[in-house]
Amino acid sequence: MKGRLATFGMLAQIAMRNLFASRLKTLIIGGIILFGAILVVVGSSLLDSIEQSMSRSIIGSIAGNIQIYSAKSKEELALWGSFGAETELAEMDNFATIKTRLESLENVERVIPMGISGALVQSGNTIDLTLAELREAINAQRSGNSSASLQEKIESLKAHVRQMCLVLHGDMKNLQVLADQTAFDAGNAEAIERAISDAFWAEFDQDPLNGLEFLENRVAPLTTDADLLFLRYAGTDMDAFARSFDRMRIVDGEAVPTGHRGFLFSKFYYEEFLKLKTARRLDKIKEGLEVKGRTLATDPELQRFVKANVTQVREIALQLDSIKTRQVVERLQAFLGSKETGLEPLLGAFFQMDDANFEQRYPFFYSEIAPLLTLYRIPMGGTLTIKAFTRSGFVQSINIKVYGTFEFEGLEKSTLAGSLNLMDIVSFRELYGYLTTEKAEEIARLKASVGVQEVSRDSAEEALFGGGRDSLVAEAMPGVVSAVEELEGTTRTLREKDLQARVFAPEETNQGVVLNAAVILKDPKRLDESILAIQQLSDREGLGVKAVSWQQASGLIGQFVLLLKLVLYAAVFIIFVVALVVINNAMMMATLERVREIGTLRAIGAQRRFVLQMVMIETVVVGLVFGGIGAVLGTGIVALIAHWGIPATSDVMYFFFSGPRLRPELASGNLLAAFIIVLMVSALSSFYPAWLATRVSPLQAMQTED
Amino acid sequence: MAAIVSIRNVVKEYNLGKVVVQALRDVSLEVHAGEFLSIAGPSGSGKTTLLNLIGCVDTASSGDVEVCGRNTGRLADRELTNLRLNQIGFIFQSFNLVSVLSVFQNIEFPLLLQQKLSASERRARVMALLEQVGLGGYAKHRPNELSGGQRQRVAIARALVTQPQIVLADEPTANLDSVTGQNIIDLMKDMNRSQGTTFIFSTHDHNVMSHANAVIRLADGRILDRVSPEAIGIQVREAHP
Repeated sequence: MKGRLATFGMLAQIAMRNLFASRLKTLIIGGIILFGAILVVVGSSLLDSIEQSMSRSIIGSIAGNIQIYSAKSKEELALWGSFGAETELAEMDNFATIKTRLESLENVERVIPMGISGALVQSGNTIDLTLAELREAINAQRSGNSSASLQEKIESLKAHVRQMCLVLHGDMKNLQVLADQTAFDAGNAEAIERAISDAFWAEFDQDPLNGLEFLENRVAPLTTDADLLFLRYAGTDMDAFARSFDRMRIVDGEAVPTGHRGFLFSKFYYEEFLKLKTARRLDKIKEGLEVKGRTLATDPELQRFVKANVTQVREIALQLDSIKTRQVVERLQAFLGSKETGLEPLLGAFFQMDDANFEQRYPFFYSEIAPLLTLYRIPMGGTLTIKAFTRSGFVQSINIKVYGTFEFEGLEKSTLAGSLNLMDIVSFRELYGYLTTEKAEEIARLKASVGVQEVSRDSAEEALFGGGRDSLVAEAMPGVVSAVEELEGTTRTLREKDLQARVFAPEETNQGVVLNAAVILKDPKRLDESILAIQQLSDREGLGVKAVSWQQASGLIGQFVLLLKLVLYAAVFIIFVVALVVINNAMMMATLERVREIGTLRAIGAQRRFVLQMVMIETVVVGLVFGGIGAVLGTGIVALIAHWGIPATSDVMYFFFSGPRLRPELASGNLLAAFIIVLMVSALSSFYPAWLATRVSPLQAMQTED
Repeated sequence: MAAIVSIRNVVKEYNLGKVVVQALRDVSLEVHAGEFLSIAGPSGSGKTTLLNLIGCVDTASSGDVEVCGRNTGRLADRELTNLRLNQIGFIFQSFNLVSVLSVFQNIEFPLLLQQKLSASERRARVMALLEQVGLGGYAKHRPNELSGGQRQRVAIARALVTQPQIVLADEPTANLDSVTGQNIIDLMKDMNRSQGTTFIFSTHDHNVMSHANAVIRLADGRILDRVSPEAIGIQVREAHP
């Protein structure tokens, strides 16, 4: 044993001496291994950290640990859509049972019903909103309210509409200059001319409803500031959602009260799409300057924001009535020290911001100008009208109260996490085209009142065309009308108000259609095991659900880390293949140079195994030493990165980093991986030269030096 | 005295592409323990081939080579290697020391391969040999810090350190000046006398040959004769005391 140890010592010594004897070769081989080791350590720890934080983002924002959906679905669940389209899921049968059964599993904390869909929402333009307000006020007056404050409000609104018409008139003139005469609709110009004339407004006072109609039908469509917004929402059990995703917090407004229909905007979406664009751009400039350290002088994106603010002052001008216009003009004159009297030139001058004046102008905007504006298109407590295509293809629309905005801690800036808004599941079902309990009741009542009979498939032909005395055709058709379409005007409004106010029982959230559900685990580490348990339970009891991990459920996004990993592995693989070739070559050369020495060793009694070990130990020593240095350096780099943190420079990175900065952690697994890879590469690369060395004949010792 | 090396009807052929060269043709030879034997002959006469066969670094194409009672033609590489390690010492024309090891380590090396002795025993034996070859103060030197003669002394010490029965030396003095070569031969003769080790060396230097008990003369791969140095007109010289 001692002898073996001494032999090994001798081998190591020969190896070390040989390494020192050919320093350049050692350094080249060592350098490659060093680089490879650093890459493995830093790369794998970075990716592991991204994976961890991304899983935090996905699990914590919507997915939960496991998602379940109907096994009958033709497509796979993709929480963030797949290639931009929503995936179609079959509804789960009997969700209440599924929920109860799954929650009986030992590692399942909670099951939260969900459904994800999207709709286009017209955000309404300023003139529409103002006209609606004006109509309401005039109606109030006509129904007997003659208070002075109401009259004042009407006057103010009228002035505002007139102001807007003036702005439109200006636009129209500009357009006339630009556009081809034939393409220009003279009727539109006439309408505007009329709307700004004193005669029209004198007439308006006499017959306001007629005037309103003209404005609504002829003038309002000419404004182009209305946005078609794409709204993605998840219908869910709001209470369970808030309890389970504890990183969620309400930012503005309040949570939707238990049992109420209601909508929560994601804070990000609310800011990005519903805020006055000028204000949003100012916020973005501020963030760019303060958080990301850019400057207006150098950054093209921020310059673009400034330019847009300067040229698009009309968005603000439209919002101001004559009184407010005067106020803004006075304030801007004082602030800018300008004698200019036009609102738009003043606004233009004000928004011409640079690095020097931004610090004063930004707070001035929010303290002096913003209070006169409507900053958000839909205020907290306001009503959102969502129109969506149901599964069967007809358009369904609901009005839903906006209670507040929410965000997920650490994902405030993430487009992805912020793309999803929340609504109660009862409203969701209605939009999605499924019967809510109350609708089912209503239809049953309607059916009863018009005398509809159930017609089975088998007897349909007979019933419809049988020609008997009870032909269904004539009588039954009027009954097949959407409950909502049937109700018009005031009745409809009342019904909707009633719906909004109606409290539904908590059980209702679990009865009825659920498309998918998040499963929150008690111990998230036992993910695979729990998926299997759910699947087995479902198979055993015929629940018909399919369970997938959060990563699978997140579709392409979940695969992103996998992709990054593949890239890293490819890079590591290439580096080590290069290392393999270079080391192999170098060792071949070294072996050839040492043929006589090896022959001598063989002649004086060294076995082939000894020679094999001698050559291999040499590379392994290089591998261990430089791999070790690489691992230490890599650890240092990871620690440095963790100390500084990699800033998330884009919104997507917020999601992947689960916060503003990524602070990677080094796992012992990363070091172990580096160690094993380096060891394997050095052993592999020297194996062939070592084997060749064993083939050196002792006869070679007899050769003379030259 | 029993034959320590016994060669019978040995033929050794080398394939050089299409040409087959016969290096040894029907050679028979017996060497007895304690001999100090010289193999002489012109270049290409088969001296080195004969030494390689005796040294178990090569095997015969036909015929038997018996070394220390083992027929080398029937041994695997592993056993041949063990035979070389334990029974045979080598001294090379170009010394063949491991350049990255010290003098001490070079000599100790075969003992490490044997794995028979403890570190202190190895040390004692190596140091004693170093004294014997007159390099007591050079244990820590590297081969490239030594002269040619000193290196060959180290090589002799390495060949003897396992106390082999046979030491083979292929032109041990060819790379040395005559005085140094004389010293090396004297040293070998000393060892032969004091330890009874059999020495077989090839040379074409008459001066070196004169020390031998007997001279095997080779020509064209055949043994011409086995004679005493005097018989071929070489004056026998005694080793320096």
